[in-house]
Amino acid sequence: MSARKLKVMVLDDEPIVCKRLQPALEKLGFEVDTFTQSLEALHHIKENKYDIIITDLKMKGIDGMAFLQEAKKQHPTTEVIVITGFATLETAKESFQKGVFDFIAKPFKLSEIQEVVTKAAAKIQGAGA
Amino acid sequence: MLPAFRRFLDRFRRPKPETTPFPEIFEQFQSLLQDHQQVMELIADLGEKSGGEYIFDRKYLVDLTNNLHTLLLRMVNGLNLIANKRYMELYSTLDRIFQPLEAELRGRLLLSEEMPLVIALNELPLDHPELTGGKANTLGRAIQSLKLPVPDGFVITTRAYRKFLEINHLEERIHAWLESWAAGEQDAGQTSRQIQYSILAGLVGRELAAEIRRHAAREEVFWAVRSSAYGEDGELSFAGLHDSRLHVPSGKILSAYKEVLASLYSREALIYRQKMGLLGEEAAMAVLCQETIISRAAGAMHTLDLSNPAANRLVIYAAFGWGRTVVEGSGPVDRFVVEKDPPHRIVEREIAAKEFMFRPKPGGGEEKVAVPRDERQQPSLKDEAIGTLVKWGLSLERYFKRPQEIEWAQDEAGKLWLVQSRFMTISRTVIPPPENIAEITSRYPIIIKGQGTVAHAGVGCGPVYQVDSDAKLSRFPEGAVLVVKYTAPWLTPAVPKAAAIIAERGSAAGHLATIAREFRVPTLVGVEGACERLREGEKITVDTKQRVVYAGRVKELLQYELVQAPAFEETHEFRQLRRLLKRIAPLHLIDPQAPDFTPQGCESVHDVIRFIHEKAVNELMDLPRFLKRFRGVKIFSLISEVPLDLKILDLGGGIDPNVQGSQIRVEHIRSLPLKALWEGVSEPGVWSTEPVAVDFRGLMSSLTKTWAEAPGATAYEGFNLAVVSGVYMNLHLRLGYHLNLVDARMHPEPHHNHIYFRFVGGVTDITRRSRRAQLLAHILSKFQFKVDVKGDLVVARVLHLPQEEMAERLKVVGRLIGFTRQLDIQLKSDADIPQFMESFFSRNSQAGETPLA
Repeated sequence: MSARKLKVMVLDDEPIVCKRLQPALEKLGFEVDTFTQSLEALHHIKENKYDIIITDLKMKGIDGMAFLQEAKKQHPTTEVIVITGFATLETAKESFQKGVFDFIAKPFKLSEIQEVVTKAAAKIQGAGA
Repeated sequence: MLPAFRRFLDRFRRPKPETTPFPEIFEQFQSLLQDHQQVMELIADLGEKSGGEYIFDRKYLVDLTNNLHTLLLRMVNGLNLIANKRYMELYSTLDRIFQPLEAELRGRLLLSEEMPLVIALNELPLDHPELTGGKANTLGRAIQSLKLPVPDGFVITTRAYRKFLEINHLEERIHAWLESWAAGEQDAGQTSRQIQYSILAGLVGRELAAEIRRHAAREEVFWAVRSSAYGEDGELSFAGLHDSRLHVPSGKILSAYKEVLASLYSREALIYRQKMGLLGEEAAMAVLCQETIISRAAGAMHTLDLSNPAANRLVIYAAFGWGRTVVEGSGPVDRFVVEKDPPHRIVEREIAAKEFMFRPKPGGGEEKVAVPRDERQQPSLKDEAIGTLVKWGLSLERYFKRPQEIEWAQDEAGKLWLVQSRFMTISRTVIPPPENIAEITSRYPIIIKGQGTVAHAGVGCGPVYQVDSDAKLSRFPEGAVLVVKYTAPWLTPAVPKAAAIIAERGSAAGHLATIAREFRVPTLVGVEGACERLREGEKITVDTKQRVVYAGRVKELLQYELVQAPAFEETHEFRQLRRLLKRIAPLHLIDPQAPDFTPQGCESVHDVIRFIHEKAVNELMDLPRFLKRFRGVKIFSLISEVPLDLKILDLGGGIDPNVQGSQIRVEHIRSLPLKALWEGVSEPGVWSTEPVAVDFRGLMSSLTKTWAEAPGATAYEGFNLAVVSGVYMNLHLRLGYHLNLVDARMHPEPHHNHIYFRFVGGVTDITRRSRRAQLLAHILSKFQFKVDVKGDLVVARVLHLPQEEMAERLKVVGRLIGFTRQLDIQLKSDADIPQFMESFFSRNSQAGETPLA
């Protein structure tokens, strides 16, 4: 692991998702913040930069699509990973058009998301080197 | 079926015109098989999700339940089409099973009348902590899962609490008092007094009082009446906030019950709930009543030494008499510090001068008395008892995934009892979260990484112990890591003792995986070469969440898991999943001849599809009627060395399409399962049974005798039929008096595969037939089948193995069919079983197979 810890934000309105992802990603060496309210998360990214954002799509308040668009606008180098229980071809296509790194359908395996996040981290570190 | 009844049915049916044409029936049957398969896979899927490897949310549970409902409706429709609407009651069966599932998903079940007011501690429904409260739930798990001795008793549930409020019209009044406190119109003391007074003045309803009295009706027993409040996730500690009443005579339980209820609204409890932001939520209290243990000594145990968290040690506190001395710190106590690693050395031993002790007062209550002068300096606990407590502590901590604070008692006869166990509250200042857990773990050598499928997520540490025989199984040490080739059901006894499980083969949906989840043992299956890479006795740390096996003890990781990481098993979603699973997955309908093998007898989704499958196949099995009903359906006859008159109905792809006429040979069989089974059946020597030399043809003629020819048998046409497709086989054999059913699928994708084997009947008395059933069970379980035996009925299943391994097992089944032909005659005593087993296995090893390795 390199000197700087990469920062990861997890945004999902189901607390169980945040609760499970946090330790799983911490053990991979990331610094993890979790949010269950998209509005709060939105305020937060205005002042803080995350290397990787993992977000749900269907949420109360601002939905995931709008959130990831805003996140990308704030920090274009942030890699966004979408996790959703309503995976359709259209939402997947739209997400990729908006520049997300990957798109994962719920339910998913811990190892699956760990792999994707590791790949995103490798891309970021590769670009920084 | 009784012949008279059968004739009656036939007569009854005859005048009816056949309305559904054969191609349609045929199609229905095929789609029914597919739906059956899909339901089985959804059930397996749900089981796997309960292991913690998946992240899922409520939507997944809702979708899955809806899917199941749709599939089952379609299957019921299909069966009724095939069977001329003879199973219309299945529709109400579906309602009966799916309504509670849907209520569960809406979170409505708790309010329903289905939930008991009072329930015995040893029958507690473990996935309903909101019904029985945290304290009782923990004890229920200790009794049912960990088999620890807990004083007998019962729980007055939260439903009883709600009923109490309802009868006394308290709900709204309490709410109003709390509101005026929140608005600053009253102080906490006044609010508490008002609520408590109205609870103490309330009436325990007649129904509830009768239930409590029924459970408490025991001679000369005193009770400990304790609060068992419900805190979500068990993470909030209400320790000490609510009251307990000790040594209560049976006649005073009702008033003690109200006193404990009232403590839910003590001033301290109110302030605590306000501080935790829980005031808006409805509080509810279950009350736990347990027989009082008259203890010679009692105390507590912490599975983590807070004064030295880095050391891998636990601490035991002990004093004479009742546990109050220790729990309340009202006097000097003995202190023992013990290493958690075997051989569990006692590294510190402080013996206090114990001048006083508490003990029960005759007639109820307690008294403080002096300890006899010569005993004061004696240790209150012997080393042997310390050893037992250490074992309990480790197993409780392993199961609950959190350091435990345990209360125990030792009675006058020296027997130890578990009184209570709860999470230790550990502040972040005592054990701060590690700065960088990833960096720390990366310093440890890794033996295996990124391999296998997670059957249960978690972290465990212990010495490697490989099991490849019954003898090694019986010596399995507490806290070792079980390493095996296959996840066979016969390994079950080792699971509760294992710190982790690693298997080279097997499925996350298999029986052993289910048991591992039951006991929350971290389990990884499909780890190629594990037996070779993990040396016997070597200490390893298994992290199935990351799929990493480290050499040695990774103490920082273990502490991180115990203290920092949340135990997913305790989250709401997982509990909900497990509750759903209990109404979906268990199979109760094992014996199709049993009187409860009916739509009314179905208790789970699995039961329903099992029933439908059996009945649908039976429709086809009634071949004579079937052929009469559908003239022109092509049935093949198999011509073979083994004179078994086998008819074959091909659903597609099971028989060489170029075959001429209706007679086929073995080489025309395309159905993979039938081909594999037949290889076993037709192997040289299979039909002869040692040690009695039998003339081959003579034996066969007696075996293929139909029921009609057998002396004393009823007139019934015997036949053997296989319904097959390229990857599927449903085979019915009626040889002599044996009824044999094999249902198997051999798909390229292991997830779709199964073998279901059923064997029943025989010519001898039931004792001998049962003996034969035992032998079959022994043999099949060595090939990783999950076996159920009921009298002379044997039902065996194996799931999700790759095609080739399914083929091997079908060959074994083929040989078994031959081997067991007349075993019930030759097996004269139980003592003969090992000899026959050996003779079967020696034949098999000649064929190049070893059952265990």
